[in-house]
Amino acid sequence: MSILEVKHLSKLFGKQAALKDVSFNLGGGEILGFIGPNGAGKSTTIRIILGMLKATEGSVTLFGKDAWDDAVEVHKRIAYVPGDVNLWPNLTGGEVIDLFLSMRGVEVKAARKEELMREFEFDPTKKCRSYSKGNRQKVALIAAFAADADLYILDEPTSGLDPLQERVFQEHIKKVKEKGASVLLSSHILSEVEELCDTVAIIRKGKIVESGKLDELKHLTRTQVKLQVLESVDHLQEKNYIHEFIKDKDKVFFQLDSNHTDDLIREIQGHGIVKFESTPPKLEDLFMRHYSRSSEGDV
Amino acid sequence: MQSFKQSKKLLIFSLKREKIKLSYWLIGCLSFVIIGIIAFVLTYNDPNDRQAMVGAMSNPAMEALFGKVIGVDNYTIGAMYSHTMTVMTLSLISISAILLVVRNTRLEEEEGMIEIFRALPTGKLAHTTSAITLLAIYNIILAVLSAIILIIFGDNSVDVNGAVLTGVIYGSVGLFYGSVALLFSQLSSNSRNATMFSLVFLGLSYVLRIIGDSGFELISWISPLGLLYRTKPFVTNNWWPVLILFFGTIIFIVISLYLQKRRDLGSGLLPSRVGKRSASRLLRTVPGLALNLLKAPLIIWTLSLILLGVTYGSVMGDLETLIAGNEVIEKIIENNPDQNIVKQFIAIILGLLSIATVIPVIQIVMKLYSEEKKGRSVYLLVGKHSKNYVLGAFVALSFFSSVLLQMAQVSTFAAAVMTTQVKGVFFRDILLSGLAYLPALWTMIGFVVLLFGWLPRMIFSAWILLGYSFVILYFSNLFDMPEWLKGISPFYHVPDVLSGEISFIRLFVLLILGILFSFIGFIGFNKRDSIE
Repeated sequence: MSILEVKHLSKLFGKQAALKDVSFNLGGGEILGFIGPNGAGKSTTIRIILGMLKATEGSVTLFGKDAWDDAVEVHKRIAYVPGDVNLWPNLTGGEVIDLFLSMRGVEVKAARKEELMREFEFDPTKKCRSYSKGNRQKVALIAAFAADADLYILDEPTSGLDPLQERVFQEHIKKVKEKGASVLLSSHILSEVEELCDTVAIIRKGKIVESGKLDELKHLTRTQVKLQVLESVDHLQEKNYIHEFIKDKDKVFFQLDSNHTDDLIREIQGHGIVKFESTPPKLEDLFMRHYSRSSEGDV
Repeated sequence: MQSFKQSKKLLIFSLKREKIKLSYWLIGCLSFVIIGIIAFVLTYNDPNDRQAMVGAMSNPAMEALFGKVIGVDNYTIGAMYSHTMTVMTLSLISISAILLVVRNTRLEEEEGMIEIFRALPTGKLAHTTSAITLLAIYNIILAVLSAIILIIFGDNSVDVNGAVLTGVIYGSVGLFYGSVALLFSQLSSNSRNATMFSLVFLGLSYVLRIIGDSGFELISWISPLGLLYRTKPFVTNNWWPVLILFFGTIIFIVISLYLQKRRDLGSGLLPSRVGKRSASRLLRTVPGLALNLLKAPLIIWTLSLILLGVTYGSVMGDLETLIAGNEVIEKIIENNPDQNIVKQFIAIILGLLSIATVIPVIQIVMKLYSEEKKGRSVYLLVGKHSKNYVLGAFVALSFFSSVLLQMAQVSTFAAAVMTTQVKGVFFRDILLSGLAYLPALWTMIGFVVLLFGWLPRMIFSAWILLGYSFVILYFSNLFDMPEWLKGISPFYHVPDVLSGEISFIRLFVLLILGILFSFIGFIGFNKRDSIE
């Protein structure tokens, strides 16, 4: 069952199109990585999902309800962490966490809240004006995790956290997934997406350029291969699944379309392989592929 | 002298950064001086008029506001200027000096700029020294220009000696409160507290002066404001209070430099308080949050409005002598020979007070706009509450404040009028007459809600309507204006209850307009995108 369904979503600001025909799905208990460069339309999409902006065309349904018309009903089941966490300078972090929780309409469980503050090493007695970006994000994250929700919408939630707290964050995401909740995670940190997400949607200039299961997508991308051989393997250059072939004495480097691994091994068998190193495809490669390709096309 | 190394370069840098802000403050303070002196020379040319003012000014409310009347026997233009302008101008200059110093010391420290300078080969005290020099430059310019302005625009009674003394007390009060701010910048660990403590210090000086001027005079001497008031330029021209204050300034600066050199960067000597760990029950609700965000301005406005009520109320007794024969004032109040002139004047003042009440009241709805603009209203809206509930909470708070503030202000005004024993006016009549303005206030609230819903970026244009209403109130009788043009102001339709005019229909129409505007505003808010 789909928890979140975005169908043919378009958004115009005046005459400028911020989103063009954006579609993706998020199933129950799934984590969707929503990635793309700055200004690609991630936050706009999220704001439409939250019912803050009205879609120009297309539809957004959450739990089978419309994002705009049934906003209040939908919001009762959501926890949201914005990218830029602006807080009230004269309130303390602890006060704001309680405020956020009561705005969500959930009971504040003191023990769980205290536990989270300890894990994130957060001091709730300081005024928000004195918090750094990371600390402000912690306020929103603690409020999000201190009570259960059916859907977590997180807009670049960890850009200010240090690696240790990043790990705490990832643990909590895994925990809410175990409980059966879904997560929409917009992020810049590809390693984080790779670690957590089942599916990804890559957005660029208001369009979804790639979406699907992470494993299947990775399959589409290339593996880095490094060979050290006794005999020449120059004939590999001719193959259409081999890219960017570089030769350095007895070493060769190239990129391999991941679904042709079997073909490669057949080709190099018996050529006196001394060393075979392959680096599995990374989300980053996938991301960069769209990045560079589209930027070439745009210029 | 290691500690002061590179002070000069830092000063030049500060001057570059501050030049625009400081010019605005200079223009602001100096226009206060110019307008004051020109207005007095033009309007109070006649010694009899001035002597009438002495009577009007000799009551506790006015003495609290301005100080005891000086030069009673010979109330010249100079004496009048010193008497009515000194305390106000001194306060204004002090505020500008406090902000200047905190901005250039503690705030820069907080934002990490001093850290960068300290890493460079600059002395430990260089930054502070450059801030003090900047303060001195600002105040010297202010002093010199003030004296020149007074000499140019004043009449015979404004002599050079008094003008120079006036300039000097302006400059020295800035230096003094600047040094106070410098000291508090060392003591507190953030710029906000430094500013707050300094302003509280200034406020205390003001209060001490009031207590002193309304009885126990010695207390007034302790207050720097009271002390400088006693220089009495153009009357007795005492110079020695300036010396005492100058001595105090030096002491404060020396202590500040000493503390600055001893303490760690970023720390303060007063411990910062530990805040609350969890939110109170009230703060967990939207109205509670709204109240928390608005409490400081609401308290300040309540006090200001009450003060305004007392001030205006207490001069009503001397009104007849004051306005007798003044054609302009008689025209403003559309002098109707059948009516008591004081009653008519009170009616105008009630309109003015009501317009003042509108300011904090509509600021409450505007606050939700600024929350939205800062990206904070999203926390209230992504949750169990609807848009209607959130906007409703702010509108309700605005509505209740309009009733409470208007009641508080009008009743203190009425009470103050009663103490002056004006004939033929009753407390109840003034109160009712003031409360008759409430539907007009609600029309204004409705107008702001309407803007919030449909044209949020234009919300501040409500101030234009309010300003226009003020102009209509004062000047509609001076010029021939078509009725419809006057009718744009909601306040124009409020019946003058005091003169026995009762029109429930007009009040009802204003009420309906307020409700209708609000209703349309709510629809707009539900339909529109939220703003970034």
